[in-house]
Amino acid sequence: MDIYLPIAEVAVNAPLIVALGALVGFISGLFGIGGGFLMTPLLVFFGIPAPVAVSSMALHVAGSSMSSVMAYSRRRAVDWRMGGLLASGGVVGAIAGVEIFRLLRLLGQADLIVALAYLVFLGVIGGLMLWESLGQIMRRRAGQPDPPHRDRRPIWLYGLPLKVRFPRSRLYISVIPPLALGLFVGVLSAIMGVGGGFILVPAMIYILRMPAGMVVGTSLFQIIITTALTGVLQAGRNQTVDVVLATLLLVGGVIGAQLGARASSRFRAEELRAILALIVLLVGLRMGLGLFLTPEEPFVLMTGMAG
Amino acid sequence: MTRAVVPLAMVTALAALAPARAAPVISAALTDTTVKVSSDFNGARIILYGAVFDPSATPSDVVVLVRGPEQAVRITRRDRVFGLWLNSRPVVFRGAPGFYRAASNRPLDEIATFGTLRRLGAGIDHLAINAPEEQRIETRYGVRDVVVSRLGADYYVWRRAVVRLKQAAGLYNEDGRGVRFVDRGLFRAEIALPAGAPTGVYRADILLFQNGKPVAQRSRALTVEKVGIERALYVWAHVRPWSYGLVSMAFALAAGWAASMAFRRD
Repeated sequence: MDIYLPIAEVAVNAPLIVALGALVGFISGLFGIGGGFLMTPLLVFFGIPAPVAVSSMALHVAGSSMSSVMAYSRRRAVDWRMGGLLASGGVVGAIAGVEIFRLLRLLGQADLIVALAYLVFLGVIGGLMLWESLGQIMRRRAGQPDPPHRDRRPIWLYGLPLKVRFPRSRLYISVIPPLALGLFVGVLSAIMGVGGGFILVPAMIYILRMPAGMVVGTSLFQIIITTALTGVLQAGRNQTVDVVLATLLLVGGVIGAQLGARASSRFRAEELRAILALIVLLVGLRMGLGLFLTPEEPFVLMTGMAG
Repeated sequence: MTRAVVPLAMVTALAALAPARAAPVISAALTDTTVKVSSDFNGARIILYGAVFDPSATPSDVVVLVRGPEQAVRITRRDRVFGLWLNSRPVVFRGAPGFYRAASNRPLDEIATFGTLRRLGAGIDHLAINAPEEQRIETRYGVRDVVVSRLGADYYVWRRAVVRLKQAAGLYNEDGRGVRFVDRGLFRAEIALPAGAPTGVYRADILLFQNGKPVAQRSRALTVEKVGIERALYVWAHVRPWSYGLVSMAFALAAGWAASMAFRRD
């Protein structure tokens, strides 16, 4: 059953797109991330023009994160103050990101920057996560105890001015690192068409040293704010949001996300991280590979934009 | 089936009028003059019927040229820089039709000369598309107003790439057997629009060639338009982009909220 997308101006197979939404939603619920890094390349692969895929994804990420964050807030696992701070950095980042994306599109370099961003960020984060989780799995197999948790926080986190208390996360740190982190993720969210959870979650654990239980809910809250703004800005500035496409993805996505969240309790945390790391690494390498392989067709028509 | 009957009736009616004139005449009609792009749109096939009235019975050739609305083409080339394949600066080709089909009863180069085809823009090789931003007009060797393309000899490589990519998308094609004579003087051609065909007014020129010269011509218009919800959303997204963005985002958030309520385990 094909359905014509009014903004993308292509026809897609509706059940296929719903299934795609469900699959990515499942992964998103399982790992507590938005799943945008997986969805955007898949949409481009199915023939959706890249600018439309990137922009419409914002709706899908916001919707499925909304669906999950409700569950976390009921468990009191969202640090609203930290999330709000990350989000205010994210808002500035998203506005800048949409303008950067617009400029890159006009220069014809959007594809390059998107591919590079995927290669670098997914490659590095996937690699680090795989290394860490495999180490933990091996230690457990060998019956060794976990290395003592280093609770020593980096000194620069405390040396900075403008300190604020975060009671839920039991932190007393400067507002500058969360603001900078939010800003960075906001820019990426606009350029890569992702929520940025795959960067935010490790950064909150390893840099801000937040308690693990608070991290996913707080990251989802920040993602909602940032992607909601990104989506509206992309629609307003670039007219690249396809609501029909987003609806199809959401139908599958919100259901998949709930099923994924339930399935997550069946796996060990480090095994989940190892699988996620593999997926992240594969997507990053696949996207980056295009930069090194000789293209069959050296010319590229730039669709999805007028003039 | 009923579609074929109507033009046939029309042809017989016109045939009665034909002997009054000596000059050859061509007439044609489309089975559909509007193509409605709704949510189930996945391309369309339009049949063009026509007839040649020529008392002298000179051998005739028919060429059907369908041009879609003009659509600027942005194209980049991937160049190798430090071992990486990067996009070059995009080149914009203007004046290119968003859709083009040249159909004829035999290959175009057998029907008319290069110069005639070029003048009529008949055939993909003769389409007038150029990249004005890459051009400047200067005086060379004392000759004024010479158009110089900064793409230089590369221009043809770029132009061929535009045509090749448009052909791959089903938007440009040329068919030397696309017009079939189904009966004496009566011909038929098919126009296949892919799902990615641009919306707007299309123009079909039906040309009658005798002895390599165009002797008669007819034009027919075809409108491709979005209808219903597709049109409403498209117009809304482009005329009031901010309210469109706000409402669609609110909708997405509400859908997420509703799903979490539906799956809530109490």
